[in-house]
Amino acid sequence: MAEQAPLAVFAGSPLLYILIPLLPFLGFLINGLLNRRLSGTVAGLIGSATVLGSFLISLTLFLRFLGNPVPYTVHLFEWINVGSLRIPFSYQIDQLSLIMLLLVTGVGFLIHVYSIGYMHHDANVGKFFSFLNLFVFSMLVLVLGSNYVILFIGWEGVGLCSYLLIGFWNKNHNYNNAAKKAFIINRIGDLGFLLGIFLIYFTFDTVQYGEVFQKASQLQVGAGVVTAITLLLFVGAMGKSAQLPLYTWLPDAMAGPTPVSALIHAATMVTAGIYMVLRSNVLYTLAPDTLNVVAWIGALTALFAATIGLAQNDIKKVLAYSTVSQLGYMFLALGVMGYSSSLFHVLTHAFFKALMFLGAGSVIHAMSNEQDIRRMGGLRKALPITFLTFLIGCIAISGIPPFSGFFSKDEILAHAYEHNKVLWGIGLLTAFLTAFYMFRLLFLTFFGEFRGTEEQKHHLHESPASMTLPLIILAVLAAIGGFMNAPLVLGRGYLADFLAPLFTYSRQINPEAFGGEIDHATEYMLIGLSVAAGVLGIVLAYVLYVAKRTRPVEEEAQRGAFEKLVYHKYYVDELYDALFVKPSMFLSRTLHDFVEKRVVDGAVTGVGRGVMGSSQLLRNLQTGKVETYLLLMVLGIVVVLALNFIRL
Amino acid sequence: MLSIILLSVSGLANLFLGFNRSNRLILPFVLLVLAAVLGVTVSGIDTHGALAVWNQSPYFTGMLTFDRYAQVFTGVMVLTTLLLLPFSQKYVRDGNANLAEYYSILLFSLVGGIMMVSYNNLLIFFLGVETLSIAMYVLAGSDKSNLRSNEAALKYFLMGSFTTGILLFGIALLYGATGTFDLAQMGNAVRAIPAADAGLRPMMHIGLLLMLIGVGFKISAAPFHFWTPDVYEGTPTLFTGYMSTVVKTAGVAGFFKLLFVAFGGETIEFWLPTLTAMLVLTLFIGNVGAVAQTNAKRMLAYSSISHAGYLLLALVALQSGRLSVNAIFFYSLAYSVATVAAFAVLKLVHDQRERDDYDGLNGLARTNPLLAFVMTVAMLSLAGIPLTGGFFGKFYLFSAAAQEGHIGLVIFAVVMSAVGIFYYLRPIMAMYMKPAAEGSDAPVFVGGFQSAVLVLLVALTVLLGVWPGVVEGMF
Repeated sequence: MAEQAPLAVFAGSPLLYILIPLLPFLGFLINGLLNRRLSGTVAGLIGSATVLGSFLISLTLFLRFLGNPVPYTVHLFEWINVGSLRIPFSYQIDQLSLIMLLLVTGVGFLIHVYSIGYMHHDANVGKFFSFLNLFVFSMLVLVLGSNYVILFIGWEGVGLCSYLLIGFWNKNHNYNNAAKKAFIINRIGDLGFLLGIFLIYFTFDTVQYGEVFQKASQLQVGAGVVTAITLLLFVGAMGKSAQLPLYTWLPDAMAGPTPVSALIHAATMVTAGIYMVLRSNVLYTLAPDTLNVVAWIGALTALFAATIGLAQNDIKKVLAYSTVSQLGYMFLALGVMGYSSSLFHVLTHAFFKALMFLGAGSVIHAMSNEQDIRRMGGLRKALPITFLTFLIGCIAISGIPPFSGFFSKDEILAHAYEHNKVLWGIGLLTAFLTAFYMFRLLFLTFFGEFRGTEEQKHHLHESPASMTLPLIILAVLAAIGGFMNAPLVLGRGYLADFLAPLFTYSRQINPEAFGGEIDHATEYMLIGLSVAAGVLGIVLAYVLYVAKRTRPVEEEAQRGAFEKLVYHKYYVDELYDALFVKPSMFLSRTLHDFVEKRVVDGAVTGVGRGVMGSSQLLRNLQTGKVETYLLLMVLGIVVVLALNFIRL
Repeated sequence: MLSIILLSVSGLANLFLGFNRSNRLILPFVLLVLAAVLGVTVSGIDTHGALAVWNQSPYFTGMLTFDRYAQVFTGVMVLTTLLLLPFSQKYVRDGNANLAEYYSILLFSLVGGIMMVSYNNLLIFFLGVETLSIAMYVLAGSDKSNLRSNEAALKYFLMGSFTTGILLFGIALLYGATGTFDLAQMGNAVRAIPAADAGLRPMMHIGLLLMLIGVGFKISAAPFHFWTPDVYEGTPTLFTGYMSTVVKTAGVAGFFKLLFVAFGGETIEFWLPTLTAMLVLTLFIGNVGAVAQTNAKRMLAYSSISHAGYLLLALVALQSGRLSVNAIFFYSLAYSVATVAAFAVLKLVHDQRERDDYDGLNGLARTNPLLAFVMTVAMLSLAGIPLTGGFFGKFYLFSAAAQEGHIGLVIFAVVMSAVGIFYYLRPIMAMYMKPAAEGSDAPVFVGGFQSAVLVLLVALTVLLGVWPGVVEGMF
């Protein structure tokens, strides 16, 4: 068995490292405490500046790391130290955490800037930015921590921020319900995650990544306990990263402000599950059964969500299902051990999906909060920058070369092809569907005639520079971002080489599972097929929605059976409602009416009364007379001595 | 040793400030002295040295020793006093005629407290107890025009001197049985007494039990706690805060030392059953007694009884060594900080509203959000809610006791903590949920420096709660 040397410990001053999460936290404090006293723009500038600061520090560390790529930990302080449980608060600085740092702070900064313009009219801008900063803080803690407990703290922190931000416009009852739904479904996942951490501690007697992986290497591939751990952790990932069957919260989460959807529900938080699996890649490599589950869940989620996306008419809902679908792709990649491809797709997806959400936000902004694409159309003239950048995003997600999505998606499909042809087929079908519904969205929004009201038409305007500038930067990244990891036929990718050390350990454990190199002919064939699928989708969308001018039917119109099924999202929400929500409501009402009111309340009030009564009795002893006290004291002394010396 | 000298000399010097009627200088001077003593003490702590060499750097032919144990607890007591005194500003403002005397007495009492944790000889322990106690009798009656304050002083004095007799009797019997006052020699002598000895053995046993009773009185452990609610209520709020923190820390730490050095090992059977019974009774009376109180000071009196009970857990778990020492240290630190915060708020409210029942706190959240927040954090910490120092304090105590196999005691203590949450929430409810009474809804005056200290108190409480490792390595 391979031995992994313990990680080097960083010996210098940890100040720079502390500042990375601390800066957004300071932003949170300032914006939170001075909520009402700061003007919206100032709050936005503070929020953005703190994230920019973290980004610059992360960039410095990244460049320094490139010069000397040796992972290390930064020990900040002993956190909990009781008995055999020792949890230090320390960071792990390696390829994975650095890339995630750059992603979170970089994309996070752009979205903060965008929010200055987008949230301009809102009454609670200070509150908004303080939550957004708190989110960035939690996310940074999540990716920086060097053990599962810190990961869990960040994990819960981002969940909380997600809840707060989804319900940000809490005047609307539906929005509150969406926030609650996100929170509750994530709880289900978190329970699994927490059990996984307990099992890790139980098995390995530590929660530090380095020590866990070292001890895990002593186990056999397929050991039962590792399968159990990885499955439990994956349940957590299913919740956080919206996989079947726990995905239903993500489309509802679109109730939050659009920048939130871009930052939390597209670019960063929802990829935490992927980060966690990548972090634990040693454990997952040891559990091929789990990997199979991951791959199938990922592939099925990708296909399932893509079909729902076909029939949605809310611009953000389409993007939401597309996100679920793309997350499915990433898990498919993990499941077929295309670890670095998965992270690659996390990055490119962050670029183009954040771009499209922000673009959608720009459209919604221009349309005075209209989100229904049946009321849009012909916007490309009024919103040229938004249109062009959105177009780039659509091309990228559809996998047309040389845009970024092509490279990452192609890699995933190649890995799937090697592993299992059926998975590959599902992936290819999804790619076709993705191209179709994304361009359906594009054509319905930006082409044809304007279908909104006269008043909306009158108000149409391109968004301010604070909003378009992030769009342009993200569009550039979405366009060329793929070149950081060109496919094998064009020479080996930089990203894969950079990330390789993360997986050396997994490679040693289970070398055959990683698969060899594919021959070039096959690779060209795969590229050709995936491009063809994308192009076919686009052409079909063009024919239907531009050439034939098909319009999606209104709510109450008659639909075919399959269309109806898809339009209503396979009735999954209704199913969950009938299966889980209603029965638990019934149960809780019954428990409330009978068990709580009669049994529990009775017992509690009884105990309360008892304590109160004893307390009154004790009070009576307290006469206020010194004589009584001295008498009682002497009695006490007598009793003490008597108990010690009188033997019956 | 430097701390004792500094405190005594500056206590005397302070009296001269009083002669000159330079009242405004007194408080800054005292705070400066305390800060200097704290600096000297903390910088002298050698965290890499041995945990406690009971006879290291001995003074007065080995009667006093300033090892890490003594220094750390001195640090806790001095820090507590330093944090508490800024809230005495009203005495200065009112031009109290005996101002210098009170501060000097306080400094002298601190010397007594330091002696109680640095003694190596029961004579010094007794001297420390008396220096501390007599000072407290005076301070309890320092509000001379207030009948309740006079009553408190008299009650405290009468019962305290009664207990002093018992304590001294205990020490005398121990001396008679072992022929020494020195802790380490006493330990050896106790172990040398043959089990069948019908003379020396009961003598030593009774002596030890009488000491247990005497110290139990000082830290208000049941059934010797009766003075506590009355005295706490009558004593001026500031000194009540002092009583429930410094006196308690000194008593528990001092007694732990006695038991650990001289009565550890097999000899624990002499005191363990009695102490356990006292612990259970103390926890019960403290927590249950606090429930029916309507006066915040009386509630805190019962609460301080219950905290004595928790601290006794560490004595019961004394065989776990480092674990229990660390638990006493952490708990007394977290408890002192939270208690000072609570009494500080009560004192400030009392200064203006002239009352210290729960209703006096009504509407505080609206008039003084800072005070309400500080009080809330203090109450949560005393209740042992996570993210406050009190949580880890309880956690360490309970885990030390559990380690020694006292699972039943720990379960009982946890149940009692649950009762505690009830009465700690009552001031919070008063502050946040009830409107202030007509005419008393003006904001309570809080000085700038006082606000800073309040924020510091909250910061310390939260710091200890999220990063208990910050004071790691003291033991």
